[in-house]
Amino acid sequence: MTHTLEVRDISHRYGTDDSANLVLSNLNFHADAGEFVSFVGPSGCGKSTLFNIITGLLAPSEGSVLVDGVETTGQPTRKIGYVLQKDLLMPWRTVMRNVVLGLEVHGVPKAEATERARALFAEYHLEGVENKFPAQLSGGMRQRAALMRTMVTEPEIVLMDEAYKALDYPLKIQLESELMENVKKSGKTVVFVTHDIEEAVTLSDRVYVLKAHPGEIVEEIRIDLGTDSPRINERRLATPFNDYYEHIWRSIGTAPARNEEKAA
Amino acid sequence: MTAIATTEGVIAPTPARRKARGSDRGRRPLLVVLQVLIVAVLLTAWEVGSSAGWISSFLFSSPSGIASVLSNAAASGALWTDIGTTAYETVLGFAIGAIGGSVLGLALWYSRFVADLSAPFVAAIGSIPVLSIAPIMIIWFGTGVTSKIVIVAFSCIIVALTNSYRGAQRADRDLLNLMRSFGASKSQAFLKVVVPGAMPWVVNGLKLNVGFAIIGAIVGEYISSQAGIGHMIVIGSGSFQMNVVLAGVVVVMAMVIVFSLIVGLLERTILHWER
Repeated sequence: MTHTLEVRDISHRYGTDDSANLVLSNLNFHADAGEFVSFVGPSGCGKSTLFNIITGLLAPSEGSVLVDGVETTGQPTRKIGYVLQKDLLMPWRTVMRNVVLGLEVHGVPKAEATERARALFAEYHLEGVENKFPAQLSGGMRQRAALMRTMVTEPEIVLMDEAYKALDYPLKIQLESELMENVKKSGKTVVFVTHDIEEAVTLSDRVYVLKAHPGEIVEEIRIDLGTDSPRINERRLATPFNDYYEHIWRSIGTAPARNEEKAA
Repeated sequence: MTAIATTEGVIAPTPARRKARGSDRGRRPLLVVLQVLIVAVLLTAWEVGSSAGWISSFLFSSPSGIASVLSNAAASGALWTDIGTTAYETVLGFAIGAIGGSVLGLALWYSRFVADLSAPFVAAIGSIPVLSIAPIMIIWFGTGVTSKIVIVAFSCIIVALTNSYRGAQRADRDLLNLMRSFGASKSQAFLKVVVPGAMPWVVNGLKLNVGFAIIGAIVGEYISSQAGIGHMIVIGSGSFQMNVVLAGVVVVMAMVIVFSLIVGLLERTILHWER
């Protein structure tokens, strides 16, 4: 079966071949169309390295990345878009010009790019700020604009690296609810990288738990909260939530580091 | 929900900056009045001291003496010729040196190898005082305006180059990665990220170069010239006419202020998003 995203036997070392520099070890996972897959783990589990490998910004030491069955290892592809914790809006561009950046790079004519972007402004609750500069927007508006910039290019897979970490809690909940709705509507595949177990459980169809030094998948957990609601508060209050939360918490807490394994 | 919507609706929440700007604006008229007052007091003291013989008018001139030289030179048209000559040399040399240097500095982003290769040469050229190179330029390019334009360009080019190169080197890596993820070419990354991101550095180089450009033009005119404010000052000092020398200094100050205002306008236009 061909998966939308497939990662095969990825290992990555920084510097020499010394195992002390091994950041990721033998990672295998996949994500299918319309799926929301999260990675949780402690600091140093190589989440950001994994993110860069999936986007093609970094070539792994070993292994391959496939999108729709086609190898894209070390090659950025238009099928993957990403959103970071930093919104990366260019301060010298208006919000509209930031949103159309990807389309501009893809060579879409300016009028068509603007028209495509304009249609999204209402959906993302950003009407009226098209001609403002990023410095004139609140943190939430900036994150929405960043997500729009990715979504307007219509990637099949959206990677999100702690995209909402810097936001205050109520705003984070609101943006996560909007994200859930958008994902359900668009049928895109989302790969979400986070430290936050609650975020992972409420948003995801599946959660991969990583351990650190080196980053390794210790568990894959299928999440079924028993609700289809995109509202994060409702999902958070679903009965199975606490069980999943505790399970992942224990999984992260008990994941042994490689040196401990060796000592054992 | 309402609270969130309210948080979301807030645009440009920068009260601290606004407050600081607001209080600056309130203080501005007072500052201008005090500054004018200080200048008026100094000029009056200078004029009275000179008329009363407490200050040597031969060595220190007087405001009325300087004003008289300026009004006579303006009436004869000589002042406008001198200002025109110096302004022409400054503007053209500035355009070649500062703008050319900025473009070169930005372009060095394309090749780290070329940038590293050229670094010691840039440092060596930058360490040459314009005063020491000016006589060579006069010999190579003659005593006319061309040699002054070259001297001005030489005075500006290294500061512009190093500033813009530093700006280009500081291009946001995450933004460059974002461009790569969109499949952008190196030229697209350069034009959409590196150049606009380096603009504050480029503009800073231009601001610094206003002074260097005027100094270059005056130094060139000191050494050999037929016109210009530097020429006016040299002629005045050669004949011990302190009124003429100081009139030249006043004109140079006025020119620096005018050029700085023009570059300030340029800064506000180029960096409009920083306001």
